[in-house]
Parts: sequence; C-alpha cells; structure tokens
Amino acid sequence: MLEIEEIQKILPQRFPFLMIDRVTELDPGKKVVAIKNVTVNEGFFDGHFPDNPIMPGVLIVEAMAQASIVLFHSKFNANEAQVKKMSYYLGSVKVRFMHPVFPGDQLKITVEPVKMVTGAAIVNVVACVDDKEVAKGELVLSAKENQS
Amino acid sequence: MQDLENEIKAIIAEVTEQDIAGITPDAKFFEDLGMDSMMALEIMAAMEKKYRITISEEKLPLMRTLKDTVAIVKEHTDKKG
Repeated sequence: MLEIEEIQKILPQRFPFLMIDRVTELDPGKKVVAIKNVTVNEGFFDGHFPDNPIMPGVLIVEAMAQASIVLFHSKFNANEAQVKKMSYYLGSVKVRFMHPVFPGDQLKITVEPVKMVTGAAIVNVVACVDDKEVAKGELVLSAKENQS
Repeated sequence: MQDLENEIKAIIAEVTEQDIAGITPDAKFFEDLGMDSMMALEIMAAMEKKYRITISEEKLPLMRTLKDTVAIVKEHTDKKG
C-alpha cells in the first residue's frame, strides 16, 4: 500500500491535479489498485455542472493515467532523482464510460499491463464505484526524461 | 509471406491512421509514416496478440520498416513452428 506522501514521490502532478489518494494494492509491474475519493469540494464540480455535479470523464482518465504511472514506476524502479526528471505523456486513450461519478463516490482504479517496455506502456484500466464498473479501456503512455 | 505482409500492413495502417497504399516495404516508420514510440509499441502488441508470439523489447528499435517488421514476426512464428 502507498499513502499520499509516497505517491507524491512517484507522481509529478500536484493539487489540483493529483487524482489518486492511495494505492491499496501494488504487485510491481503486474497490477496497481488505486483509489480516488471524489468530494463535492473538487473545483471542477463548480462548472461540471452547476446544480448537477458529475465528475468529468477526462478526469477519470487522468486518474487512470496516474495509477498507470505508479505501475510503470514499479516495474522500472527509477530512483527519486530520476523520477524528478520524468515527464509522462498519453499517446492513446480508448475508454468507455458506463456510469456517471458523483460527489461522495470512491473510485477504485485497477491497472494491469498489456505490454510494457522501457519508456512506454500499454495498460488495461478499469474504474469501479462500489464494485460497479464506471469506466474501462486501454491507455498507451510514455515516459521521457526532461531535456532541461 | 505475402499474406503476412498484408496483415501487418493493415495493423500499421490502423495504428498510424495512414492510407495503406503509403505503407510500402521500405517506408520508414518514424520519418515517412510519422510513427512515434507508443505507436510502435501498439503495433508490437497487436502482432503479439494476432500471432500469439512474444517479441522482446530489444526488437522494438529494429522494427524500422514494414520489411524489417515482417522479418521479425516471421522469425518468431517460424520458431513457434
């Protein structure tokens, strides 16, 4: 299990764009289960939508991508100095959304690799709320060292 | 061999969203077809799934053209028997 302090050592994202709160399961290079607690205080609910708060699908994808970075990191085990120099990019997103996500929901995101090589990965992702699938699909992402 | 080439060409066309006619045996993936490392990985994974083979990471930089890619897949399928 990884708490937020350890997650922040892996992910470069910060408030308001840190989209996972805890990693509850980590099988290095094989599986990551992460959770995101969705609260009504999230800034995006102000506009998405007034009087009808629904978590934007793109942010569910962002949470999936961040859990994927944790999986990627667990396989290649970069040290802290290397992690600081990394940037991550999404190359392809094929995700189907089945149910809306509301304030109060806890998103459970499971990521498993389809194929991972140094610098790039294809992963299967599933997001559930109360064990009901709300979104699932496949992401392609890459990791590159910053030039500066 | 021709069938294999056509099948792989179709995979490349789908991933790169390029017209199949432009995917000639010697067209360079990165320079001519605008491929990036993630697309190359997608093609590799699609071929692994289709032919039920496992291609090692070391082969990825050697997949520079359709001709190279067909040869790599053939090497793996032949080995499988």
